Amino acid sequence: MKYFALVIPVLFLALFVYALVRKIKLYDCFTEGVKEAAPLVLSLFPYLAAILMLSELFERSGLSGYLTALLSPAFRGIGIPPEIAKLVLMKPFSGSGSTALLSEILAQYGADSYVGRCACVSYGSSETVFYISAVYFAGVKNKKLLKPVLIALFANFATVVFGCFLCRFL
Amino acid sequence: MLAGGEKAATLSLSLLAVYCVWLGFFKVLEKSGLAGKLSNAVFPLAKKLFRTNDKEAVYLASCNLSANFLGLPGAPTPLGVKAVEKFYAAKNRYAADMLFVLNATSLQLLPTTVIALRLAAGSQSAADIFLPTLIATLFSSLLGATLVAITRKRK
Repeated sequence: MKYFALVIPVLFLALFVYALVRKIKLYDCFTEGVKEAAPLVLSLFPYLAAILMLSELFERSGLSGYLTALLSPAFRGIGIPPEIAKLVLMKPFSGSGSTALLSEILAQYGADSYVGRCACVSYGSSETVFYISAVYFAGVKNKKLLKPVLIALFANFATVVFGCFLCRFL
Repeated sequence: MLAGGEKAATLSLSLLAVYCVWLGFFKVLEKSGLAGKLSNAVFPLAKKLFRTNDKEAVYLASCNLSANFLGLPGAPTPLGVKAVEKFYAAKNRYAADMLFVLNATSLQLLPTTVIALRLAAGSQSAADIFLPTLIATLFSSLLGATLVAITRKRK
């Protein structure tokens, strides 16, 4: 497993060499990209803050424990650790919200634990289905969304089950 | 509630660090022409996938998919929206559904946010998650595309 840690450095080096060979202004180009980072994070910040504050409320009021307790037998039955149930439920609705949840799970259970790894794979392999459907079909009249949204939700959920299963071996 | 705000502030800072690295990376990728090459490679496959000969729409869709595959943040969305509009205009609802489902199950080469969050949480091997995520997203894209293809004939 160790050599996977090398994937990213090698990727960067390869790209930089390629860019130099193609005579690209590497430094200017790289910094131009970096410049976009701050506005992007600023645009995400309000949503992150709102979701994290709400999730604090959800937690403190005990609602969260209630819901997780309710669903955990079902989740455990299909191999999803109940600790990540909230993340799985959140993902289709909000990308930044689930980013916040993921970082909480990692802080609580540790990034290299089974639960932490399942959370990472579930997060990485599913998408914000409702958000994407809202954006992608925004410019279309007479849209029929039910079928594609159901398919996407089903595929995402099946993948979480499959991903948690994979985490036992990989 | 304050604790939530505090968490948001620290999380934003670690996200800022990630985006600095990757947005720089992707800008170089784009400017060096590699990103364009990748979409050209995807084109013939995409034509079959969407069952249409509308060159412009397929090109938009394949750019969208390859940007997605690379995890270019923000880049796929405008391309995807345009492609869906074109598909709908041509009454090709199948292609629009297919593109949406592929986006919603998006194949990801580099789960950048996850790797960064793992590093921030003190992971010993943050990139370990690469392989299972790749296999899992491959599975979800195949499953989604198959379901769209199977349900196509019912009108």
